[in-house]
Amino acid sequence: MSSFYWLALVESVVLGLLCGVVGTIVVLRRRAFFTVALTHATFPGGVVAAIGGFSVLLGAGVFSVVLVAVMTAISRVRRQGSQVASGVVLTGGFALGMLLQSLTPSLPVQVDTLLVGSILTVTRGDILAAAIVLLVAVLVLLVAGKELLFSSFDPWGFRAAGYREHAMDAVALTLIAATVVVAMPAVGSILAIALIVGPAATAGLLVRRVSRIIPVACVLGALSGVLGLLASRAWNIAGGAAICLVAAVFFVLATLSAPHVRRRRLRRLRSQAQL
Amino acid sequence: MSLLLTPSQIVEILGLPFMTRSLVTVVVLAVAAALIGVFVNLRNLEFISDGLAHSVFPGLVIGYVVAGAYGVFLGALLSALVASVLLTVVSRRGIGSDAGIAVVLASMFSLGVVIVSRQHSYASELEDLLFGRLLTVTDSQVRQIVVVGAVAALLVVATWRTQLFRAFDAQGFRAAGYRELPYDIVLNVAVALVVVAGSQAIGNLLVLALLIVPVAIARLVTTHVAWLAPVAAVVSVVCGVAGLLIGYQASVVAGASPSPSAVVVLVLVVAYLVVLVAYVLGRRARLWGQRRRARQGSTVA
Repeated sequence: MSSFYWLALVESVVLGLLCGVVGTIVVLRRRAFFTVALTHATFPGGVVAAIGGFSVLLGAGVFSVVLVAVMTAISRVRRQGSQVASGVVLTGGFALGMLLQSLTPSLPVQVDTLLVGSILTVTRGDILAAAIVLLVAVLVLLVAGKELLFSSFDPWGFRAAGYREHAMDAVALTLIAATVVVAMPAVGSILAIALIVGPAATAGLLVRRVSRIIPVACVLGALSGVLGLLASRAWNIAGGAAICLVAAVFFVLATLSAPHVRRRRLRRLRSQAQL
Repeated sequence: MSLLLTPSQIVEILGLPFMTRSLVTVVVLAVAAALIGVFVNLRNLEFISDGLAHSVFPGLVIGYVVAGAYGVFLGALLSALVASVLLTVVSRRGIGSDAGIAVVLASMFSLGVVIVSRQHSYASELEDLLFGRLLTVTDSQVRQIVVVGAVAALLVVATWRTQLFRAFDAQGFRAAGYRELPYDIVLNVAVALVVVAGSQAIGNLLVLALLIVPVAIARLVTTHVAWLAPVAAVVSVVCGVAGLLIGYQASVVAGASPSPSAVVVLVLVVAYLVVLVAYVLGRRARLWGQRRRARQGSTVA
């Protein structure tokens, strides 16, 4: 196997693990639309980076900070709300990316690599960035995992217990934004959402206990990455999209089997109760 | 030619055949999207609309692969109908529905990308399908857009009062003996049809802006439900025409070739941000005024 394929494999495993961790936060905090908006809106950041000739990660990172601020501001205005905020940022960001791209015909990077990623051309730097975010995410979970969960399930109770909800929200949003940014080189700005939310949503269907959702999601994420890469090699299809499709297939299978799993769990509980 | 246009110049520019076609396209889509957007806004369906836009994408691609340019429209129409029913059902399942929508939209989109990636002219086709080609719509495309846009608008207009009831009082709606599913499907089909109508011209994702942004502006401007649709439609048409003219001027005067639909959407977004800031500042000013009057009142007393 050639070295770029090994790099792609490593990247897909690291990203899969990262998406398992952060995706669980997205799903539990119901931030899916926010994440979708963020993934689309980092597209202009990538275009700016391509025009300016600096790292896509940097461009997308700066843009995501600006856009999180804009979304937070809009969602606080009366009669607007978070859905409108996400919608405006999503379409506005996407249009901005298109405009910049159409104004610079001699763009050194092809637009589709920004939109759907190009996992076979990831660099060691991309992998390092993803690994750092993974490390930070795990550390955050170890230090403040309990608080993060508490505030996800019961924001009112969290505030009443004397914690600061804004701080937790900021931590969660930062992790989500960082994940979106480091996922961009591999799976692009439109497809990243499948890898972020897919494994976590699947895990949520399969196991009930939150402490088990994260490991299951990590395994599913890494598995999606590896299987997707193999599929893209076998049938010569786009790598990032193949990875996301595998994640989606897992979700569909879990949705179909969820009633069976639930029934079996009930039966086991009942038999335990009888003993 | 200067950057500022006189009315006669505007008429002259819009009278050019390709500009007239894009003008008709923008106006039809703007009005239809404004009508439907009222309910997207009132019922917080922005995310589902995004899901529908993404789900139409593989239909565009499959249609293109199977039957060339003619198949695009039919494929999009079919996938729109399938996706609107699918997403209605997924979103009604309640728990974790937003994650479900996210997975549906991303996987449908991935499917489109996988199929496109098997084609030879992969990159340019992907871009055309995503970004649309507003200035090169043909007469037959304009006819399709008018018909589909009109059907979408009619679906919502015909069920207007019931949809309003559903949006404001879901419990009362059920208690009055209505069933939610048919109305939800009608609304989602209407959204999907607008996305289909706009996909080739404005671009698959940017149609969303026409659904979401004008009504968001209308919400800031008026508190009367009856005014939402007219305000949104006027705002959308004005911004659309302004965007077309700006794009035209930029290419004629500055020699650049900005994507026309991106300009239209950005004009809308800028208008939204201006109205939003004005609204927030206006509220602040009124609050300060009240407080000052209250303070003066207390010193006098």
